[in-house]
Amino acid sequence: MLKRITATAAALAIATIGFSAPAQAVAKPDCSKAKFKIGVVTDLGKVDDKSFNQSAWDGAKDGAKNISGGCATYIETTDSKDYAKNMALFGDAKYNVIVTVGYLMQDASAIAALKYPKIKFIGVDQNNSSTAANMTGLIFEEDKSGFLAGYLAGYLTKTNKVGGVLAAKEVPPVYRYGQGYINGVAYAAKEQKKTIKTSVVYHEVGATMFNDSPWGATTAGQLLSQGYDVIFGAGGGTGNGALAKVATKKGMLCIGVDTDQWFTVPEAHPCLVTSAMKSLVSGVSDLIGLAQSGWSGGEYIGDAAIAPYHDLASKVPAAVQAKVNAITPKVLDGTVKTGVK
Amino acid sequence: MKYLSKRNLLIVLIAAATAYFYSKDGSVTTSVVSTATSFALPLALAAMVGIMCERTGIVNIGIEGTLLTSAFVAFFVSSLTSNILLGLAASIAVGSLLGLLLAVMAVTWKMDQIIAGTIINILATGLTSFLYVQGRTIPSTFPEYDIPKLMNLPFFGPVLFMHGPLFYFGLFVILSLYVALFKTTWGLRSRAVGEHPSSADTAGVSVARLRYINVAIAGAIGGLTGSFLSLELVGSFERGFTAGKGFTALALMIFGRWNPLGALAAAMMFGMTQAYANQLMIDQVIQIPTQFIGVLPYILTIIVLAISAGKVRPPAAEGQPYEKADA
Repeated sequence: MLKRITATAAALAIATIGFSAPAQAVAKPDCSKAKFKIGVVTDLGKVDDKSFNQSAWDGAKDGAKNISGGCATYIETTDSKDYAKNMALFGDAKYNVIVTVGYLMQDASAIAALKYPKIKFIGVDQNNSSTAANMTGLIFEEDKSGFLAGYLAGYLTKTNKVGGVLAAKEVPPVYRYGQGYINGVAYAAKEQKKTIKTSVVYHEVGATMFNDSPWGATTAGQLLSQGYDVIFGAGGGTGNGALAKVATKKGMLCIGVDTDQWFTVPEAHPCLVTSAMKSLVSGVSDLIGLAQSGWSGGEYIGDAAIAPYHDLASKVPAAVQAKVNAITPKVLDGTVKTGVK
Repeated sequence: MKYLSKRNLLIVLIAAATAYFYSKDGSVTTSVVSTATSFALPLALAAMVGIMCERTGIVNIGIEGTLLTSAFVAFFVSSLTSNILLGLAASIAVGSLLGLLLAVMAVTWKMDQIIAGTIINILATGLTSFLYVQGRTIPSTFPEYDIPKLMNLPFFGPVLFMHGPLFYFGLFVILSLYVALFKTTWGLRSRAVGEHPSSADTAGVSVARLRYINVAIAGAIGGLTGSFLSLELVGSFERGFTAGKGFTALALMIFGRWNPLGALAAAMMFGMTQAYANQLMIDQVIQIPTQFIGVLPYILTIIVLAISAGKVRPPAAEGQPYEKADA
């Protein structure tokens, strides 16, 4: 009997290490004494996920720097049931701004904004359905950067087959990237008067949709083996897996997502020609500035763009670069429609 | 009549369907089946971890944790030493250590084995998240090695003989495990320990020792699987990288009736449905919602299970600690 008790105790001890371990690889500042407190609640993902959550966190840090007495810290969500609980941790500690990261937190944020009327909520990737004046939805026109990436891909493909490996279609930003990409390729095909086959494969919706690298890599392999030579990888680890796979095949090109992934996914350097970006960093930091003065609630549209070509600039002919430069402002100001609602 | 079982009928049906698609469009069918093997191999290997353990009477639901930890170790050791072989060796070592940890908890401490496996999963998620640093790369992945001559075979060349070294090794492990389990003394003893440990004990087999050895070997296979994922299939590591493959493997183990070849076939079927689901989206042949395509692998699994599985019986002594009766 004693043996079993020791065993259980030992097991519990090991389990406790496990539970407390997801502590911080990234330093978590202590903001309890700061004048202007900013709390970031991540989506299912980490503040160093190389794309989405990381950019929002960087934006919060930038925003905090621009404010006197500003201090930003974060909580990483590990279970979608904890959204409200995590927001309440900042809410009850009377933070000035709470940044909630991700479309999936839209409803939880709207509810929390009503519960804490004195705190300003910034909902990244969230449409603002709430009437609360303290809530602002930071949204992006992903279809525009997806369109630009697709337009470039349409000019770079040699096999006239371009592909995409994306997280779930049910997540609106993912869908907008994918559909924008498809329409961008079609636009380039029309300009060149040729037919280009575009195939976008979405992961099934569910808990693993943003971290299934093996699926992303295998699916990218499937596209490559059928002659697709430019592949857009979009959706956290799932997309990164696709980029890593394309990088192992000589001469193939890949396109990253959300941030300039040249800096965050080094294994993709052999193929990464650009990234379809949304300026999460400046969007979040601008809104934090507005939270101090000039806040208006509602929705705030952040910038969209594609990233520089970096070392692969030589793979993009000057004429194509000129074309992309010419169409970029037109897509951004809406003169050229992306065709995505 | 012996060969007219439902299972064989199913195999013939699948082969016929593949042959039909191949005659219609050879290159795409080859690509789909070859993709399916890439989907299937890690799942089948992970199922071997389960089979090795359960055949000797230990339930291992910590496969997911073993895969995650070993994929992590494989990647970071490769990255730090700039040597992927060291990464492979380290991941196999860590896999075996996790196996030993499970054996200590399940055999020596006689703990509830579900809890023991859960501990490994929690430990893996915690440690790999904590120790993870971004921005590291490995010198290269295990490169694809096309087997001369065989690679030129139509269809079978790309499907079976144009993969990386860990793929071939993994396949070898699965086939060897089948032979070892059913054709060797060790296999007979292992199965005896899983079915009726007291008889095995009476016959002079050390139940505890055999369980320790087998669970450690299972862990090593888990380590190989992790290496395959991070060093050959993808070439990177992310948090939560294994995305539930260890749990799918448990289902495939049951589906394959605790038989290595059965689990391989089950994994291949699952891989095929995934690859075909992808292909439906690639071809945009039919305008069916992606949600429906997404559930196809699972619906097909249910149908196939209903047709072919019949009665499934786990090893009798599974999950029970063996207590020697007092003399």
